[in-house]
Amino acid sequence: MNTIFVLFFVFFIAPMADAQTQLRFVTWKSEADAVWKQIVGEFEASHSGVEIVREVGPHSSTEFHDLVTQKLRNRDPQMDVFFMDVVWPAEFAAAGWALPLDDFFSAERQKEFLRAPIEADSYHGRIYGVPVFVDAGMLYFRKDLLEKYHLAPPRAWPDLVRQAKLIQTRERDPYLTGYSAQFKQYEGLICNMMEFILSNGATLWDEPALRGTLHLAAAKEAVRFVRDQIVGAISHRGVLAYQEPESLAMFTQGKAVFHRNWPYAWEIANDPARSKVAGKVGIVPLPAFSGHQSAATLGGWQLGISRFSRNTRLAWQFVDFMTSSETQKRIALYTGRAPARKALHRDPDILKKNPQFRSQYETFLRAAPRPVTPVYQPLSNIMQRYFSSAIAIPDSDIDQLAQSASRDMDRVLDLLRARGGP
Amino acid sequence: MKASNEPALGFLLPSVVFVFVFSLYPIIESFRLSFYRMILTLPWLGERFVAWENYADLMTDPVALKSLTTSVIFVAITTPVEVILGTAVALVLNESFRGRGWLRAIVLVPWAVPTVVSSQMWRFIFNDRYGLFNFLLFGDAVHRYWAPLAEPGLALMSIMVADVWKTSSFAALIVLAGLQGIPKELYEAASIDGAGAWQKFRHITLPLLKPALFLALLFRTIDALKVFDLVFVMTQGGPADTTNVLQFYGYKKSFAEGMIGYGSTIAVAVFLVSLLLSIVYIRLLGTRLLGKEGGA
Repeated sequence: MNTIFVLFFVFFIAPMADAQTQLRFVTWKSEADAVWKQIVGEFEASHSGVEIVREVGPHSSTEFHDLVTQKLRNRDPQMDVFFMDVVWPAEFAAAGWALPLDDFFSAERQKEFLRAPIEADSYHGRIYGVPVFVDAGMLYFRKDLLEKYHLAPPRAWPDLVRQAKLIQTRERDPYLTGYSAQFKQYEGLICNMMEFILSNGATLWDEPALRGTLHLAAAKEAVRFVRDQIVGAISHRGVLAYQEPESLAMFTQGKAVFHRNWPYAWEIANDPARSKVAGKVGIVPLPAFSGHQSAATLGGWQLGISRFSRNTRLAWQFVDFMTSSETQKRIALYTGRAPARKALHRDPDILKKNPQFRSQYETFLRAAPRPVTPVYQPLSNIMQRYFSSAIAIPDSDIDQLAQSASRDMDRVLDLLRARGGP
Repeated sequence: MKASNEPALGFLLPSVVFVFVFSLYPIIESFRLSFYRMILTLPWLGERFVAWENYADLMTDPVALKSLTTSVIFVAITTPVEVILGTAVALVLNESFRGRGWLRAIVLVPWAVPTVVSSQMWRFIFNDRYGLFNFLLFGDAVHRYWAPLAEPGLALMSIMVADVWKTSSFAALIVLAGLQGIPKELYEAASIDGAGAWQKFRHITLPLLKPALFLALLFRTIDALKVFDLVFVMTQGGPADTTNVLQFYGYKKSFAEGMIGYGSTIAVAVFLVSLLLSIVYIRLLGTRLLGKEGGA
């Protein structure tokens, strides 16, 4: 009799008590996991009876995308709130996966955030995500090495190559790489290559005209530069397999002169416990080709709510908490991520801890979003294939590869011409 | 007779249901979807029946054809190597010596480790800065270190090494079972006739082992054709798309890009290629082999 009672309790009563208050949050593995855990814990503390289940996915954006979309495709109610990379909202909105947030997140409140991520979160006049932090590609450099050889931080890509070569020769360190960045075949490759292409006055594709543009001369020239001057010259071939963590490790080990990364790397590169070059790091906007403007790829992460969530009101309370001024300030202070709220870029505490944000604000304002489209993933895979083939094979036929990449992109973009409605 | 069959049917039912739900239904559904154009991120295009259009696209898709070539190279190299290595291991394990039980358990470890874990391990081993591979090859001469996973010419080979390490023991297991089925008397008789170790292997072990070898070859071929996890963890298809095996390409189409119809077509293609290979194997090796054994 007792057993039956216990079983009844275990299977019926106990889950009921739980079910009312569980909210599932799908997030990725962070370098500062403890901070995120603590923030989530505070939400639980201030909302008695609410339990946030953190489901931690892979660090790589590409792999994290596969995880989140699998849940959405299966209409999984076991996911309420999730992180979105800046290029996903259009896709999630078009597929009917992300909940439009206009009822909660008014145009008035949207104005408190930087314009670029808000635009990335909007699709056909509605808003689908709330920006948590923004990213933009930055150039990190070894201040001590540049000073030693009386060099100013490079403003042009050829200067960067020249300086790297000079330092590599003079330092006589076979291990020292000139430029450590993300050239593996994955989404990060698009961000890196886009910065070279845009800073040569070209584009990835022409979104209004729905036409590929990678076969145009300026785009090919930038790709050729990466193949011949960066990968084939000042960087180790290993960068062709690097994502952010590997490329950053090379820099923090003191084995790279220049390093391209997002703002979070500042915190790690200057932490003596994790970096051999703490205090010897400088940061400036990425270089450009002559006659053109420097370009930084807009990155960053948003919180979205699943359309299949059964508790959207509580989900919104959580999103609201996670994107509040207080939370973003803590994220900025303890993880080095740049806040998506404009006002925080003038916050004295944040600027004291992260003085680099002051000079980066301009970069954040100007950061270039990847074009907003629901077919971003197929386009990205075509570009990843093209860029990787073009730069990893020393004698690649860039003209021919670019031509066929552009043509393939045209075919994908053509799908949008037949659009019936959003 | 009939009455005694009825309970048997009842016992069979669960496994029949299981096979239908988890094997047959997905295969049929993949076939069905491969005749539709369905793009999850563009729901307004709807689910349109396109007959053989996806198949026509597949035939002219250079990426798919290159992926197929990559898959075929992967199968053609890893499968024989695994069966040969597996046979060597099985021959050793079939001898009686002290610690054989331990060794048998150890040999199975690579097979028992989840592929995702062992792939991650091999990714570290092949790392261009701290990888064990480089340390063994070049020691402290760091400037000579290679980056196998970054080189278009080496990445696929690195994945093949990881696969051989992992699944040779599976081949060994099958071959070992075959070895144990060979009667001892044959060897004793051969010894009396004055046969040496090589002659015994050549004229007794090898012929009687053929069914087991064939089975190992068949299993490994089908499995190698479906390789996915190694690529997913180690290279994501790069560099220069050189490790983009067909199964991974299909995954990208279905799951990352939401092209359900086209992705299913690729899955069906993988299925048909393995079916074709299996039939070829059975025709070439199987019947001839069975016929010979039967006659002998």
